[in-house]
Amino acid sequence: MSPRSCFRVALRALAKNKLQTALTMIGLTIGVATVLTMIALGSGAQSSIQDQVKAAGMNLIVITAGNYKVKTEDDFGVVENARFEAPRAESPFRAAIWTGDDRPRFLPVFHPEDDPLEKHDHPTASQRLGDMEAGLGSAATLASGDAAAIRKLKGVQFVSEGVHENAHVAFGGKRWFTRLHGDDVSLPFIRRAWKFERGRFYTAREENNTDQVIVLGSVAAEKLFGDANPVGEIVKIWNQPFKVVGVVTSGSWLVAPAPGDDQFDAVYVPFTTVHRLLNLSKLNDITVTAASSGDVTRLSKGITELLRGRHKIGPTKPDDFTVTSQARQALAKGGMRPEVARSVVGNVDVLEKVTLEQLGKTLDRSSRTMTALLACIAAVSLLVGGIGIMNIMLLSVTERTKEIGIRRAIGARRKDVLLQFLMEATTLSVAGGLGGIAIGVAASIAIARWASWAASISFISVALAFGISAAVGIFFGYYPARQASEVAPMESLRYE
Amino acid sequence: MKPVISVRDLVKTYSIGEVRVPALRGVSLDVHAGEFVTVVGPSGSGKSTLMHILGCLDKPTGGEYFLDGQNVSQLNDDQLSRIRNKQIGFVFQGFNLLSRTSALENVELPLLYGGSNTPPQERRKRAMEALAAVGLADRAEHHPNQLSGGQQQRVAIARALMNNPAILMADEPTGNLDSRTSIEVMDIFQALKDGRGITIVLITHEPQVAAYGSRILTIKDGCIVSDKANVRRRLARYELEYEPRDASLVEGRAG
Ligand SMILES: Nc1ncnc2c1ncn2[C@@H]1O[C@H](COP(=O)(O)OP(=O)(O)OP(=O)(O)O)[C@@H](O)[C@H]1O
Ligand SMILES: [Mg+2]
Repeated sequence: MSPRSCFRVALRALAKNKLQTALTMIGLTIGVATVLTMIALGSGAQSSIQDQVKAAGMNLIVITAGNYKVKTEDDFGVVENARFEAPRAESPFRAAIWTGDDRPRFLPVFHPEDDPLEKHDHPTASQRLGDMEAGLGSAATLASGDAAAIRKLKGVQFVSEGVHENAHVAFGGKRWFTRLHGDDVSLPFIRRAWKFERGRFYTAREENNTDQVIVLGSVAAEKLFGDANPVGEIVKIWNQPFKVVGVVTSGSWLVAPAPGDDQFDAVYVPFTTVHRLLNLSKLNDITVTAASSGDVTRLSKGITELLRGRHKIGPTKPDDFTVTSQARQALAKGGMRPEVARSVVGNVDVLEKVTLEQLGKTLDRSSRTMTALLACIAAVSLLVGGIGIMNIMLLSVTERTKEIGIRRAIGARRKDVLLQFLMEATTLSVAGGLGGIAIGVAASIAIARWASWAASISFISVALAFGISAAVGIFFGYYPARQASEVAPMESLRYE
Repeated sequence: MKPVISVRDLVKTYSIGEVRVPALRGVSLDVHAGEFVTVVGPSGSGKSTLMHILGCLDKPTGGEYFLDGQNVSQLNDDQLSRIRNKQIGFVFQGFNLLSRTSALENVELPLLYGGSNTPPQERRKRAMEALAAVGLADRAEHHPNQLSGGQQQRVAIARALMNNPAILMADEPTGNLDSRTSIEVMDIFQALKDGRGITIVLITHEPQVAAYGSRILTIKDGCIVSDKANVRRRLARYELEYEPRDASLVEGRAG
């Protein structure tokens, strides 16, 4: 019997009991729909990791002035952060100590500004004193020129200079002590999860003109203005008037503005303005985003080389700056989808040490957990669907004993009967599977749209779903088909 | 001439639990090509049992059966299926058509299992011809439950003849038909024997029906009690022409 006529016979047999057939198919439909959704979510999560990582600022590279930590590797290949043990230049500070002699003794003392764990906001004492030996630990090593040079590197997306101070911001009688960030206009592009509650960020023109314009973080704005609109008002910093042009707040519910945070309990002014007012040219840090997140490592190396060249650091000397591409920094800035960020925060304890690859693995793991869960549901519903098919096929064999007998009497071989019933079971399961594919595709699209979880349907996953449904039909249909093929030709003579 | 069917000491005993029911107790028989053998006997004498074994639908518990010189007991299931498909056509009392399947498709059925992948159009054409031969060309798309008993039996005959079998076996083919329709069916059988030389084994419990055959076998309690040539053979063609036509009987349905 040719497969085609076999298929037609199968279709007719199934069409006889439409309701039964439909009910039997449902189990498999659910199973296949789950399989498809599972794959869609799984691969969607994979493919979106790159996007996520990028959106989250994982393409972020921060160059901080100074270098306090140098990575060393022990014999076991374990990387840990160790203090750099290079000999320090002796502190130029001497304390005069009278010990009872007529002559004071001068001893080198530790100066607070030399504290290597402290971030230096301003020229170190050694630099102010013109001590070129200061080297490591001093933190006035980055300048606007460095940022400009980095901007010219290939693969760089945005570069923002950063000068950070603590400042009193005053409006009328109110004062608020907060962080003052002098940044480049491109900062809002780097901090993707920013939302301008009111007004705007300062413009390139205002930056070039070193205008005294200011953008308030939402916390600072609330402290100074309450519910009133600060845009257009004048606030004072260092007794200088600054015109408020905008108020920025978090665009992600993951990051709630809170007093004391670095982003929204803060004010932003053009870094050029800070430089002019404080008569500075140094930068505390430079924030860089890579155009492609996969490029971060390469770009970090490029930046390191560039800056070592610019700073004329000999091959044996350590960097006088630190290039980091931190995960937590990115996460804290928001922009990552909440569920992804949660899984990252929950799964990784030492975020600072997390490399992009590690983060990718974590995301992988969390999407695998999800996939495993769906796989369980899929397996169970496929099993139930399969058993349903087996059940109805067994019923069908009993019901159609006479028909099988007639076919056998007319010359159908066992094989023909086996094939026919297998074909019926498979037709049933594949029909259920096609329904499942339709539902699965719809569900994936719906999930992608309303739950904003990335889901991607590929041809391969549809083909796989199809294959699985056919396989279920063959597997669970085999036993009933076997039973059918055992029906003797004599059964044709049975009276119904 | 070698017999088409040759059985020796055929025994068939059914066992139902402890009870053993002997249906055939040593039947020996030779049927030659072109014979029209009718088997008569009282109910329960073992007629159907004999036909099932001769038709390779069932296996004997003892004795030997040679079909066209082949020892049937040595054939495997696939080979027996092939014999049922190619060499033997069956006509049953209950018609045994597939319900919910059109007459045409019922007739096509043997071609599906023929092994020689006949293309669909060819199958259709041959099935139509077979239906036309039994006068049912206009009922091709009818389902069995839309046909009269006589028409159903004719569809069954058309199906049985599909692969041009050498032997036709019929078990009470007229059992569910009225007398006129029965004569029509017997006419077809006689035409097949005379025209195509098909060997026919027909089982009936009515001596009047048995009289259409060329040889009458009588079975009683699983043994052949008489086997003789039928000298007073009835001719269905003649009866159909000269018996008055009763419209209500021609189109009447089987009970
Ligand atoms: N499947 C079976 N199992 C047990 N006994 C059977 C079976 N088939 C037939 N018999 C017995 O075998 C004997 C012969 O039956 P068979 O059907 O051959 O009779 P028959 O001559 O065809 O009768 P009828 O004219 O009523 O059809 C009977 O006694 C019957 O009860
Ligand atoms: Mg009988």
